Amino acid sequence: MPTSIKSDGQIAGHYGPDEMATVVFERDIGEAGHYPFTRGVHADMYRGRLWTMRQFAGFGTARETNKRFRFLLDQGQSGLSTAFDLPTLMGLDSDDPRSAGEVGRLGVAVDTVDDFHTLFETIDLEQISVSMTINAPAAIVMAFYLAAAQERGFDWKKLRGTIQNDILKEFHAQNEIVFPPEPSVRLVVDLIEFCARHVPQWNTVSISGYHIREAGSTAVQELAFTLADGLHYVDETLRRGLPIDSFAPRLSFFFNAHNDLFEEIAKYRAARRLWAELMRETYRATDPASWKLRFHAQTAGCSLQDRQPEVNLIRVAYQALAAVLGGCQSLHTNSMDETLALPTEHAVTLALRTQQVLAYETGVTKTVDPVGGSYFVESLTQQMHDDAEIYFERIRSYGGMLGAIDAGFFRREIAESAYQYQRSVDQDDSVIVGVNRFVQPDEARVETLEVDASVENTQVESLRRIKSARSASDVLRTLAEVRRVAAAGGNTFPALIEAAKARATIGELVKALADVFGQHTLHEQ
Amino acid sequence: MTIDHLTTTPTTDDKSAAHVRIVLAKVGLDGHDRGIKVVARGLRDAGFHVIYGGIWQSPNAVAQAVLDEDALWLGISLLNGAHLTLIPQVIEALRECGLPDVRLVLGGIVPPKDIPALTEIGVSAIFGPGTSVAEIAASLQSTHAKATNVAELLVSFQQRNRRSLSRLLTMIAAGQQLRDIRDWLNANRPATEASAKNKFRTIAFTGNGGVGKSSLIARLVAELRSRGQSVAVLSCDPQSPITGGALLGDRIRMSDCLPDEGVFIRSLPVASGSQGIASNLDLMSQALEGFGFDVVLIETAGTGQGDIAIRNFADALVLVMQPESGDSIQWEKAGLLEIADVIVIHKSDLPSAERMEGELREQLSLPGHHPATLIRVSAAKNTGIPELWEAISHPSFNRVGTAPRVF
Ligand SMILES: Nc1nc2c(ncn2[C@@H]2O[C@H](COP(=O)(O)OP(=O)(O)OP(=O)(O)O)[C@@H](O)[C@H]2O)c(=O)[nH]1
Ligand SMILES: [Mg+2]
Repeated sequence: MPTSIKSDGQIAGHYGPDEMATVVFERDIGEAGHYPFTRGVHADMYRGRLWTMRQFAGFGTARETNKRFRFLLDQGQSGLSTAFDLPTLMGLDSDDPRSAGEVGRLGVAVDTVDDFHTLFETIDLEQISVSMTINAPAAIVMAFYLAAAQERGFDWKKLRGTIQNDILKEFHAQNEIVFPPEPSVRLVVDLIEFCARHVPQWNTVSISGYHIREAGSTAVQELAFTLADGLHYVDETLRRGLPIDSFAPRLSFFFNAHNDLFEEIAKYRAARRLWAELMRETYRATDPASWKLRFHAQTAGCSLQDRQPEVNLIRVAYQALAAVLGGCQSLHTNSMDETLALPTEHAVTLALRTQQVLAYETGVTKTVDPVGGSYFVESLTQQMHDDAEIYFERIRSYGGMLGAIDAGFFRREIAESAYQYQRSVDQDDSVIVGVNRFVQPDEARVETLEVDASVENTQVESLRRIKSARSASDVLRTLAEVRRVAAAGGNTFPALIEAAKARATIGELVKALADVFGQHTLHEQ
Repeated sequence: MTIDHLTTTPTTDDKSAAHVRIVLAKVGLDGHDRGIKVVARGLRDAGFHVIYGGIWQSPNAVAQAVLDEDALWLGISLLNGAHLTLIPQVIEALRECGLPDVRLVLGGIVPPKDIPALTEIGVSAIFGPGTSVAEIAASLQSTHAKATNVAELLVSFQQRNRRSLSRLLTMIAAGQQLRDIRDWLNANRPATEASAKNKFRTIAFTGNGGVGKSSLIARLVAELRSRGQSVAVLSCDPQSPITGGALLGDRIRMSDCLPDEGVFIRSLPVASGSQGIASNLDLMSQALEGFGFDVVLIETAGTGQGDIAIRNFADALVLVMQPESGDSIQWEKAGLLEIADVIVIHKSDLPSAERMEGELREQLSLPGHHPATLIRVSAAKNTGIPELWEAISHPSFNRVGTAPRVF
């Protein structure tokens, strides 16, 4: 019997009623659209509305990304998803010496609210939902977005979209960290609180397992650590005095769609069930919207290979199938060339077409939860559910989330899984087509996208112009206010938005907060 | 003077030369460290001595790590697309450190069209996604440490060539030409300073794995730098008893201050069964003194019999413990409480530190105990560090000259 090294459990050759003996239909499975939502958050699932096809995009300047956004909307994409460059993700200005060589490279470069005006030029923010992948400086970027929207006359109450705003997984896996854990979480909660009051349709956190999985975790670890992160945000927001039903419906999730089809499907189903149980039974939420775990999925970047890159198209298609059979609300499919460089327009189009074929040709959307009731899928869902609870207990044994982070628990667990996986590949226990099996000496080259090397200069020049045109005293005054509020412990948002309007830069705002919060230095395990 | 053209002399004990030393690090802003960590562990299991430098490193800090660790190989992982900016900076930094012969390999995402430009400036190999650890290990095997002519080495050492210091430490660690080196160092001892305050000192830190020795030393290094003292750290970490490979990770906690010429960090693998310390630490310390460092801080790879040996030549032995660990009882039994000069209750930010201090004070006040200084410190909160240094540098802990150095 082969053991699945990607998950903690073992996969048997046959499943039947015996394996499902502990599963009670009404309690553990139920109907789609009903507690515990194992089968899906909507009663009619994709019969009512397809998932949102949302391709992550961003590179170069705001001007170039705006062009890509408009191209994607013309191609039939239904929402926008913004990738920021590394300096922005780390809260640095484009003219910071540490940004050299990285400006606009892996995402769009932004420094001030003016870049947000350019980024969404001619796009109606009351009509299109916008997602932004940003974490450590998420509060600042959200302030830029809200300031720009207000300056353009949009109504905050009508804005729809998602900000990732999930700092905990950065500590576990991705390392895009600026402040120490405690103040970092405080900023997350500031955003949750502010939006609950003023931007009610905004998804305030996209609690992300994606990066945990990319860092090498198993499916069960991804599931357990992500939900544990979510619970920490819930606890911290409750401590601010917000009632659970005032913010829980706006928490959303983001999972990886990896290779093992059924394991992935079971992961999404177990996630929905666990979250519903926790929200209703432990946190006593009464609004069914608080119980529903809605999630975005992205196909696994770490599964892409640079050998025989066209084969990635096929991997992505199966991964997308897992996400859809698992009931995702939105989906990003990776482009085949992403292990080589940023995707070309051709590759991005094929990735989007993959979703369209799935949606319109395969027929998988016609039936709600077509895999429900499968002995295998239901047993695996139960197993994932139970294994995740064991992890929750282990996290509690460290005194909770921050204690476990401090002790290096998550990083150790993830690194161990990554290592075990690599060993199994190196020993040919796990097959990767084109890499350790079916290797082909002469490989087709695919075209790659070139980011214009002048981006950095253009961006630095535009930043210089903005800085010389703004009122220095307004900047100083609003930054001082940010520092004051940060130290006093109030919600930082009103001060951040004022500073954004005064054209303070992301780097200046990070600095102001760091003066109070301190900077995080990473001394990993 | 550079030493890359020194002649080769046969050596007697070449155990460590069988293990290739490689520094692995990430430069730039990207924090994706799955690949580099997997490779670090894989190379250790393949018998390498891997010094893991961590993420967010500057090219200059990386070059200093290679120099001070006397590594032959440098592996840089990059997934940020900035290789054409950052790699030339790394190569320039290596050149500035006088390391033109160090071989640089890259891992990560490099578009095929950029490969020629990188190989042209001196990148030896590029490993994309899907490369197995075995492939990487195989391509790093092909170089051997150059054994060096000790006489020439000592000449350039005397001219304060840092790479010669680094090479010398490698020879000492490997037990090569010990007699010659010792004689030379003894004959060329720097004149002792008159004031006891600025006297050269060697301080050893011991304690169980994970009590925070490295974090504590990192804080102490910063403290000493702010007092204008130069510091060298000799950091012992265990070696696999099966492959002899080692993953040397102490350095990562100490790298915040780099690059800094006034700080030297050397990671030393310790064979299992060798009592938690590398061989010939006293001679290494003497070499660092000869080179002009004011203070040498030694981190053991865990408590053991080696602590007694260290105490014989170090000016002070600091025993580090943490609350809720049962440490104090264990050390009482092992007799360590008797030989430690300073006892640190570390992680004093944890709630039970105060209670532990009370219990220990009682224990130490029993008749027959020698009066160790007891201090609460938190590296995390950066508290107690100046007090710790005051205690350590107390003139009474100054055994050198009174106790014989042991080999
Ligand atoms: N609470 C707390 N944790 C600390 C402190 N200093 C270090 N740590 C944590 O303790 C763990 C071990 O720290 P290290 O400095 O690597 O300990 P070490 O004794 O050098 O460990 P080894 O070299 O593996 O024996 C890490 O998780 C640190 O984050 C402190 O002052 N307070
Ligand atoms: Mg250590």
